[in-house]
Amino acid sequence: MDDNQISLGVEQEEIPDSFICCVCLDLLYKPIVLSCGHVSCFWCVHRSMSSLGQSQCPLCRHEYNHFPTICQMLHFLLLKKYPVAYKRRELQILEEEKRSGCFSPLLDAHGCSSQASQDLHIQNNGTAGPKQTHGGDYDGIGNVADEEKNFPLNMDSGSGDRISVADAICAACKQLSFHPVVLNCGHVYCESCIVKPDEQMLRCVVCQSSHPSGFPKICLVLGHFLEEQFPKEYALRRAAVQLKQADSKHENPNACATKADTQRKKLSPWSDQVHIRFGCDSCGMFPIIGDRYNCLDCFEKKGFDLCSHCYNTNSKLPGRFNQQHTPEHRFKLVRKDSIRNQLKLVIGDIDDISLALIIASISSEGTISPDAPEDAENRSAAHAPSTSSGDEQDESLTSD
Amino acid sequence: MTKPAAGSLAGMLTMTKPSAGSLASRSTWVSTTSVSSSGKRIQREMVELNLDPPPGCCAGPKGDNLYNWVATIIGPPGTPYQGGIYFLDITFPCDYPFQPPKVVFKTRIYHCNVDSAGNVSLEILKDSWSPALTITKVLQALQSIFTKPDPYNPLVPGIAHLYLQDEAKHAELAAEWTLRFAK
Repeated sequence: MDDNQISLGVEQEEIPDSFICCVCLDLLYKPIVLSCGHVSCFWCVHRSMSSLGQSQCPLCRHEYNHFPTICQMLHFLLLKKYPVAYKRRELQILEEEKRSGCFSPLLDAHGCSSQASQDLHIQNNGTAGPKQTHGGDYDGIGNVADEEKNFPLNMDSGSGDRISVADAICAACKQLSFHPVVLNCGHVYCESCIVKPDEQMLRCVVCQSSHPSGFPKICLVLGHFLEEQFPKEYALRRAAVQLKQADSKHENPNACATKADTQRKKLSPWSDQVHIRFGCDSCGMFPIIGDRYNCLDCFEKKGFDLCSHCYNTNSKLPGRFNQQHTPEHRFKLVRKDSIRNQLKLVIGDIDDISLALIIASISSEGTISPDAPEDAENRSAAHAPSTSSGDEQDESLTSD
Repeated sequence: MTKPAAGSLAGMLTMTKPSAGSLASRSTWVSTTSVSSSGKRIQREMVELNLDPPPGCCAGPKGDNLYNWVATIIGPPGTPYQGGIYFLDITFPCDYPFQPPKVVFKTRIYHCNVDSAGNVSLEILKDSWSPALTITKVLQALQSIFTKPDPYNPLVPGIAHLYLQDEAKHAELAAEWTLRFAK
């Protein structure tokens, strides 16, 4: 496959504005749907998240704390609809990922079909050839090389596929998703199929992971796309859902949409619970609040961390950045670093005098946690080589 | 998962070179300079801005460097800045669009939100920045403070005070500055 072929294809594939990522202004690649229903690329969401506290949707500023998983349904729909442009994006992102040494998760069509019901016996054309699962290969780089070798094959099967209703079915009712909503885990449901349990977090029936940010909003980009692709089926579904809702009016899902994360208060990044720059690889909480468990055996640059909830529930999900984490790996409980380390992580290396000034200004504002005075006392001691080498050791442990 | 600090992320991005399949490398001019993801985004904005520029504005790179732009805004009719041509320098950070661009007025202007060094106080260029905002939107926001200054977040309190107390006098002075510096 040569460059000519790619450029020809790009001209042929007219990509609608709705599939242009608002951050990179290119075709969405490995799309993530935020709980406000807006879509962006995996890396675009990751990079636009705040490492200090609440993150905001780039489009509507809706606040969220959890890095959602890639929406596989949308990923495969885009791959089938715009195979050439999507492959171009894949190569481009892969190039960038190789340079930075951090990889986005590999997605295979099996992952997608697992959401589709087993009893429908969906034919999956795109899965020819052995594909790896997350835990399969040991080396992250090896995975990528393999993925590249598979490239022409994927390409052929991708362009041959037509989108069918089976590619866009709700995880609960196993029919075409009507008014689709996407949970934090990336699974897609009809809005009417989700029932929020009282006083409890919404839970995905496929992967059992909880959806932390209240009731999700309809993903309009996906909804309009499905309506356009399957006008007849979508109209049928609309009629069916409306009939059902007329039967049980009191069960309007919007009525039980509660305020997002009522239990979550405004947190100061300097409080002793927030692990600045560390995210949970299972639920996606970023930054981690509370105890953090760091994997001792994952060698990837990104590291592997879990929040206390996911650690206690023995989460088996793979890492968010293609880490080759296995359940046998050992964990270490990490308490929050000192303010000094945190500042160093955020601001980079600064001299101790300006650091002292920053600490002083924070504490005078009264937003600092109780460990501040103690930290201020240590400030002079920080000049001693032993302390600073200790700090470095700490840092290398967390980042390696 | 860990996220690199701002500094290291910037270093990572500037290291990037054009990728084989990228649009940029296939465009008419073959670039030898590095095109990172921020560079790609700036190029896309440039194309979009040239295709559909907002009325009264234009912007583009100063020279070879994609990250340094110059923009002009024409004083909107019906304001004391009418007929003035205002030059601005726009500097993109290397982790753009995750950090806002820096905008500086190169033409002196009598305005409570622009100080004598040309710095602008505009919320979307600071805390309210969002990666979904583009230069087109920034230029439109700048145009809107020509027609509607924000005296409650001033950079020059004296001008803001005058604007609130005596708008006619403020308009007179602003028109005089427009004539002196911007024509």
